[in-house]
Amino acid sequence: MRRATRKPGGDRDRNQALFVVSFLGPPVALYATFVLWPALNAFRYSLYRWDGLSEPAWVGLGNFRAIVATGSEFLPAIRNNLFLTFVPGALTLSLALFFAYTVHQRIPGARLFRIAFFFPNVISSVAVALLWILIYSTTDVGLLNGLLRLLGRTEPIAFTESGNLLWAIVPMSVWSATGFFMVLFLAAMENIPETYYEAARLDGASSAAQFRHITLPLMWDVLTTGVVFLIVGGLKFFDAIFVMENGRPSKTTHTLATLLYSKVFQEYNIGYGTAISVMLFLLVLAATLVSLRLMRRERLEY
Amino acid sequence: MTASALRWVGPAVRYACLIAYLVAVLFPVCWVFYTSAKSTQQIYRNPFGLPPAITAPGRQSLQPLVENYTKAWVGSRFSRYFINSVIVVSTSLVSILMLGSMAAYVLARFHFRGRTFVHMLFICGLLIPVQLVLIPLFFQFSDMGDWLTRILGAPVRALGIGDLTVSLHDSHIGLILIYVAFSLPFTVFTLTAFFRTLPGELREAALIDGAGEYRTFFSVMMPLGRPGIVTIAIFNFLGLWNEYLFGLVFLNDDRLKTLPLGLASISMQAQYKSDFGLLFAALVIAMVPTIAVYMVLQEKLTRGITLGALKG
Amino acid sequence: MIDLRIRTTQALTALAMAAIGVVPGCSLTRAGSSGVVTVEVAVFEGGYGIEWHKSVARRYEADHPGVRINLWGDPRVDEKIRPRILRRNPPDLASANLPVWKLIVAGKLYPLDEALDSPAYGQTDRTWRETMIPGTLGDFRYDGRTYAAPTALGAWVCWYDKRQFRRYGWEPPRTWGEFTRLCEQMTARGIAPLAFQGKYPGYAWATLLSLYQRLVPFERWYAMQDLQPGAFVDPDFVRAASLMQQMAVRYFQPGAMAMTHTESQMEWVNGRAAMVFCGLWLKNEMKSAIPAGFEMACFPVPMVEGGKGDPNALYGGGAENFCVFADAKHPREAADFLKYLLSIESARSYTIELDTLSPVAGSTEGIPISKELQSVVAVLDQSTRVFQDRISNLYLEFGATVLQQAQADLLSNRITPGEFARRLEAGAEATRRNPDIYKPRPMGVPEIR
Repeated sequence: MRRATRKPGGDRDRNQALFVVSFLGPPVALYATFVLWPALNAFRYSLYRWDGLSEPAWVGLGNFRAIVATGSEFLPAIRNNLFLTFVPGALTLSLALFFAYTVHQRIPGARLFRIAFFFPNVISSVAVALLWILIYSTTDVGLLNGLLRLLGRTEPIAFTESGNLLWAIVPMSVWSATGFFMVLFLAAMENIPETYYEAARLDGASSAAQFRHITLPLMWDVLTTGVVFLIVGGLKFFDAIFVMENGRPSKTTHTLATLLYSKVFQEYNIGYGTAISVMLFLLVLAATLVSLRLMRRERLEY
Repeated sequence: MTASALRWVGPAVRYACLIAYLVAVLFPVCWVFYTSAKSTQQIYRNPFGLPPAITAPGRQSLQPLVENYTKAWVGSRFSRYFINSVIVVSTSLVSILMLGSMAAYVLARFHFRGRTFVHMLFICGLLIPVQLVLIPLFFQFSDMGDWLTRILGAPVRALGIGDLTVSLHDSHIGLILIYVAFSLPFTVFTLTAFFRTLPGELREAALIDGAGEYRTFFSVMMPLGRPGIVTIAIFNFLGLWNEYLFGLVFLNDDRLKTLPLGLASISMQAQYKSDFGLLFAALVIAMVPTIAVYMVLQEKLTRGITLGALKG
Repeated sequence: MIDLRIRTTQALTALAMAAIGVVPGCSLTRAGSSGVVTVEVAVFEGGYGIEWHKSVARRYEADHPGVRINLWGDPRVDEKIRPRILRRNPPDLASANLPVWKLIVAGKLYPLDEALDSPAYGQTDRTWRETMIPGTLGDFRYDGRTYAAPTALGAWVCWYDKRQFRRYGWEPPRTWGEFTRLCEQMTARGIAPLAFQGKYPGYAWATLLSLYQRLVPFERWYAMQDLQPGAFVDPDFVRAASLMQQMAVRYFQPGAMAMTHTESQMEWVNGRAAMVFCGLWLKNEMKSAIPAGFEMACFPVPMVEGGKGDPNALYGGGAENFCVFADAKHPREAADFLKYLLSIESARSYTIELDTLSPVAGSTEGIPISKELQSVVAVLDQSTRVFQDRISNLYLEFGATVLQQAQADLLSNRITPGEFARRLEAGAEATRRNPDIYKPRPMGVPEIR
């Protein structure tokens, strides 16, 4: 039979310390070795000119100067990132808000809509990109050009040609992301106490006014979270461009992530590529901090 | 028009929009599913039509379906990619949940010097994009491989067994290490918040019963934490199953590729051979597991998003 | 006693092998296990496939019992090899789209000269170097050493279906005027004159360079190759670009700019586009799709009226280059296998199986060749000399960023030919000013063959 024995305090403390170390040690070690250490190293790499083959040469901020110089590929790439953040982002957010609001009215089939709209979100980005390549194809397989043919258009539209590709990605992004944000917003809306709306209705507020003065302010936090998700996702955009351009994006289609991949692994410009990744990190950091700042200022408690 | 009729117009329009979007969401995927039952010639001849397997069911009409899937599953090594994905993702997932809940439990329930620091360290990880780590990690892996070869190779050679070379590149273990390390910040962050909400009395009771810290954790706290752990598991599963960039950089050997990488290379093959039937079948095989997981667990998943949303 | 010890060692070995076997990422070569050398060969799996390479590897293994050839191919082989070079773990031998010049200058490629100066396989009275068609080994020379050898002889021509031409009474054009008139006739028949591999606008480069060659003497053509200042803004280069743009705007198949190479070539095979500019690999790339009765034939890029260039020069030369890596485990054996790939016997089987040409001298003599190949040989026989671009090999950044983009914009009619030329000149200027980029001495006009 076992009995709780009272041990001297020092012994128990030591046991507890041992426990803490044994539980915290492995995850922290793994995280430090494979995330923090390489992340710190990135800053060091970005200060060298290195082709991975010969000795690295110190260039200070030379890589960053080259990044912002005229004619660099960095600026078009970041423009593409901003396009891919804000154009599909704005559409996604408005659609998601609209759908969430409509579904929130307890319409019939609400559950079906929620489940179906979310589902493209679980398909891998590579599969999504391939699916849309098939939809856009200019050959007879293409779904969209086939529809246009039925409508009487004789010449196919080259949707995925590099000059059109970014626009072609807009519907794809909206298609795969809207459901996620709808579920997010729906959750926030369901959390708003019904009494607020009742009071507003007694005051004779229209449903548009209710949406503007109750729903939106009370889900502000979640909306900001959504914006942060979209911005960070837009800055890191890689998979679809890389797949749709067959691994070789051009200047009109490069994003920061595809650019740094091809700089490092295709052209062996490792310092330059790492400098781009540092800029990417700084942008993610800035976007997150700014959004959190905005969120705190406008926070409404209820 | 009466006022009451007018009141119906708005909702009706909105409802129509929902239905239209529903079709837009579901149709492309249905199209992929039924087109995968057609041969390339049938696809070229009639891109939208239903496959003969549906319009005229019979042994003959099932032929293209069987052929496409056999080609994808056997001929294009899809079974290999599938197994690789299962190995990498399941091992990663178990390790993430184990290590993540260990760290989160300690951070949520114990008071010690440096606790806030460690917690902040993990939160920082939420802000680090994959791309920042990718390049230095690539070279770090080479160095670690050389180092391990030196350390482990010496005794192996001394025993006269042979020459041992260890590489973290082109190995599932290397990819698993990355996946686990990269999933930890989000997992620890969420589970810490979750463990804080659990009642402390149960732990006290277990300790007083003499269970010891380890037993208390495994037999009391882990089961209590299950709802939170399941949600985290689903998120991590979807993220890792669909992961592309790390795999692209760290797996160069065809035999080791995971599903998204395999899918990308099959699409290349299919393009070279103009074999669209194969491509459609491959797409279906790649989509089915995540769709299945989603169907079964979608309530838990959306509840997870809800929880996450309200915590901010 | 001894017996026992051996058994213990065996058991230990088996145990260790089992333990290591379950850990992917570790490889164990057993000590003293028969001394077989394994050479890893990575091959770009494009239009020519890898069946021929595999059959040669099997023959090589039969001739060399101590060597195993581990040969694999992939359409995106470079995506797999490039990171492995950075890991200092490259395959032994590869044909891939690599930053070859960066590798050469950094000392990462293994010079082939020792092998080149040894007796050739099958013709032991001559060195390997002497069996190659003169000039084909010159593309990757640095500091007096040779770092790559081509396995194909390339030529850039315009392909058509003879049967279709007969049916409509069309003739292969010899001049640009005839070419445009022919295109108009095709359009009138409702057939798109030209298929184009628009997803990879780089397919236009060889055609554009051929048109430019038709306009100017070789001194000026090679001045551009030497990146002389002002070469791209030369009015004749602008004219070549404008001919290219007219061709794209008027005669490319609608939607071509979004098609991959195989998609567009399928359109050509299916008769919806009448002609396509391509290399000699086209037949093999499309062989499973070519319908019965299709009669592939080709003509060279037409002469431009009033041009000052040689009307019979042909864009072409060594292609499908292989190189051996300095960090390879068995570079000598790899170079020897490459020599075997280019033996007269292998070259003959290459010509027969893939319906194309080999850079080994005399490889078409005394063997039956197909009609398609005869039409190529006829073009080659009439040619006075071959010329080939090396800018896109030497200056990767220029090729990948400036050239690719500018061509896409030119062909889609987003920029004028003048703007196109200015962009290329600016890119060339940036290349000239960048001290990190290796630039060989100006070569001027090379000797004919």
